[in-house]
Amino acid sequence: MEPYIEFKNITKKFGGTTALSNVSFTIHKGEVHCLCGENGSGKSTLINICGGVITPTAGEIWMEGKPQKINTIQKSGHLGFAVVHQEVPLCMNMSVAHNIFMGSPESMKGLFINESYMNEKTQELLDMFKLKLRPTQLVETLSIAEQSIIQIAKAVYFKPKILILDEPTAALTNDQRDIMFKVVKKLKEEQGTTIIYVSHRLEEVMELGDRVTILRDGHYIKTDDVSNVTMDQLVTLMVGRDIDNTLPVESYATDEVLLKVENLCQGRNFQNVSFELKRGEILGLGGFVGAGRTEVLMALFGDTKLDSGEISIMGNPVHIKNPADAIRHGIGLIPENRRDDALIAEMSIKQNAQLVVLKDVIRGGLIQKKASDGLMNEMIQKYAIKAGDVNNSVMSLSGGNQQKVVIARWISNNPTILLCDEPTRGIDVGAKAEVYAILRSIAAQGIGVIMVSSELPELLALCDRIIVMHEGKVTGELRREEATEEAVMRYAAAIG
Amino acid sequence: MEKSVELQERKKRKTFREFGVLMVLAAIVVVLSIASPSFLNPINLINVVRQTVEIGVMAIGMTFVIVSAEIDLSVGSIFGASAMLAALIIKSGADPTLAFLASIGMGCGIGFANGFLSTKARMPAFIVTLGTMQLFRSVAYGISGGQSISAFPEQSLNSWVFQMGGNIGPIPVQVIIMGVMFVIAHVVMTKTKFGFDTYATGGNKRGAMLGGINTDRVKIVSFMLCGALCAFAGIISIAYLKSVPTTAGTGREMDVIAAVILGGAALTGGRGTILGTLIGAIIMSVIKNGMVLLSVPAFWQTGFIGVVIILAVLLDTWITQSGKNK
Repeated sequence: MEPYIEFKNITKKFGGTTALSNVSFTIHKGEVHCLCGENGSGKSTLINICGGVITPTAGEIWMEGKPQKINTIQKSGHLGFAVVHQEVPLCMNMSVAHNIFMGSPESMKGLFINESYMNEKTQELLDMFKLKLRPTQLVETLSIAEQSIIQIAKAVYFKPKILILDEPTAALTNDQRDIMFKVVKKLKEEQGTTIIYVSHRLEEVMELGDRVTILRDGHYIKTDDVSNVTMDQLVTLMVGRDIDNTLPVESYATDEVLLKVENLCQGRNFQNVSFELKRGEILGLGGFVGAGRTEVLMALFGDTKLDSGEISIMGNPVHIKNPADAIRHGIGLIPENRRDDALIAEMSIKQNAQLVVLKDVIRGGLIQKKASDGLMNEMIQKYAIKAGDVNNSVMSLSGGNQQKVVIARWISNNPTILLCDEPTRGIDVGAKAEVYAILRSIAAQGIGVIMVSSELPELLALCDRIIVMHEGKVTGELRREEATEEAVMRYAAAIG
Repeated sequence: MEKSVELQERKKRKTFREFGVLMVLAAIVVVLSIASPSFLNPINLINVVRQTVEIGVMAIGMTFVIVSAEIDLSVGSIFGASAMLAALIIKSGADPTLAFLASIGMGCGIGFANGFLSTKARMPAFIVTLGTMQLFRSVAYGISGGQSISAFPEQSLNSWVFQMGGNIGPIPVQVIIMGVMFVIAHVVMTKTKFGFDTYATGGNKRGAMLGGINTDRVKIVSFMLCGALCAFAGIISIAYLKSVPTTAGTGREMDVIAAVILGGAALTGGRGTILGTLIGAIIMSVIKNGMVLLSVPAFWQTGFIGVVIILAVLLDTWITQSGKNK
């Protein structure tokens, strides 16, 4: 096969850190080329170079035998690249059709906007992705999953030569993922589109990819045909060590009831939810996105109000008015959306880590630098946070390390109950294993953990018990020994 | 080796984020000292710092409000109305201490109203404080009957309140007071839970709230602090001028906001420092002083200030950016 895109000794430095170091590999025309690596391995940097967002410090990109300088986003588009970034917000106040045609001259008829043409084309696109939406619907009325599909649809519409998808399935349900896969395969077959696919989900790589390139810590490791490698081999190549995903089954659950909720109701979000959480137990909340799991956690944390229902902690009935109140009752929350609900972008790594435990480093009303630095060092060691300078912005960290900062923030406050909403969302294999180990160790200390997760293997491996929800109602409960992927799925879909 | 040096340099730049605006101040000072020989005269310099006091003290409060991601347009009116209240109380022959307390209380109260309406009543602070700006400007006119208040009773002028308008040697007392306030404010902003919570609230309100911070309270307290400091600035002005015109503080909100923004604060919240605000306030009074020294015609002075503000922020952005990209 002819090399289509050639990366030649690409190096990118940000200040003192090297994000990419001498990376060279080629991409063939019309293939699905997967890019694998942990967070911080340099995948995003490489994508941003293709997208013209940043320029490499050294090295060249050749396309069809000619060197090309991709120094602007416009130039990247001109060369045929379309990048679907992980988190690029759409304009919430505008319609689906307007978002898709934003900035495109195709939407104009002379001086005026051609609404009917845009709506017609958008409808075709919506049908292709099997979305039951109207082109004139405002994007703010869409779910996160629908929004991410709209982003992909937008890129697909303009028939790029090279489509780059960065973690496109992070927010999607299984059905939506299958539809997206069909579209990707169709593009490849009918239009000969070259696809660069970035994902943490190795099963997707196995299903969709033709070839796969692995990066680790900014270095090129290997490129191979997907048919030549197994998932285990990929994991080993990505992390450079063997990871034992099949953790020993060990339960720390006791008989002491930490939390008891009865008949929690909140409008259409959830109805008559009742369960108990034992000291040292990891309780899973399974179900599809939108089943009401996150809503239950947010209500327990006092972020939203309950219509009715009783909550008691260690036998005492409590009324949780707001998050500060929840914290006083010994509850912690690791939210699903790190960027919006947990991290303060303007503040440093240290400040973010100590947001909840600031009181512990204050003496006489003043923050003690020594105590604060000491606590931070302790956190870095305990939770293996990889940070250069803790006074840098928290956004300078990779996703996994950001999550560890959020975890450190809560566990340092010695909670009785820790609520975790998708605690491994958007973080890499290595960091996931570390998060699992942390959750197990706090369960061993007697903290009760409630975990919402859409990743079944994660629920099965970690939880002592799994409660499954479907459309706001609890449809089943499984003990560890009963829990299989199939059993959870049956309850989640409310079949039998 | 090379790496560690680079790291150290980056750290230095990081810890000194007021570098850009300080360079802007230095540039203006250099230009003025060349253009006007009397600029560097110690008497003139002391005068410049004294003229910084009112804007500076008000800008401290505004820094808290802006860092918490709000805005207060009513500061000029709070300054005017509370100064007028104090002046009327002193004029009536009552103890100036009472006037001081009443005035600070009024500032706090207006601040509370601003904060309460902007948080609990969920109105944009821009609208709320636009309203209170108009309201308390009227109050200043109304309670004074449109008259400037001056000629205070002789025994009142001996009170400690009026000592704040005097000098210790060549140094105006108000400059010392401002200095102390900036030090306290800096400590509060960088070393206390309230300062921490203010940055967190302005940086990501929802994140802060889910971290257990009472974000509404942080904002209300910031507004109250701002109101109290504006009233305090009003008292200092009475102590110095021994009179209060009905228009006192009109248009002052723009100078105060400009000083805070020049100092590096972001109107979107979460960013800004007390030291930066001090430098910003000094830039404002240096420019005003410079225009007098260079006899810029009065009609053109505000226009000139506008241009300098834009250029200064541009220069600061440019210096900060080029520092980052290195």
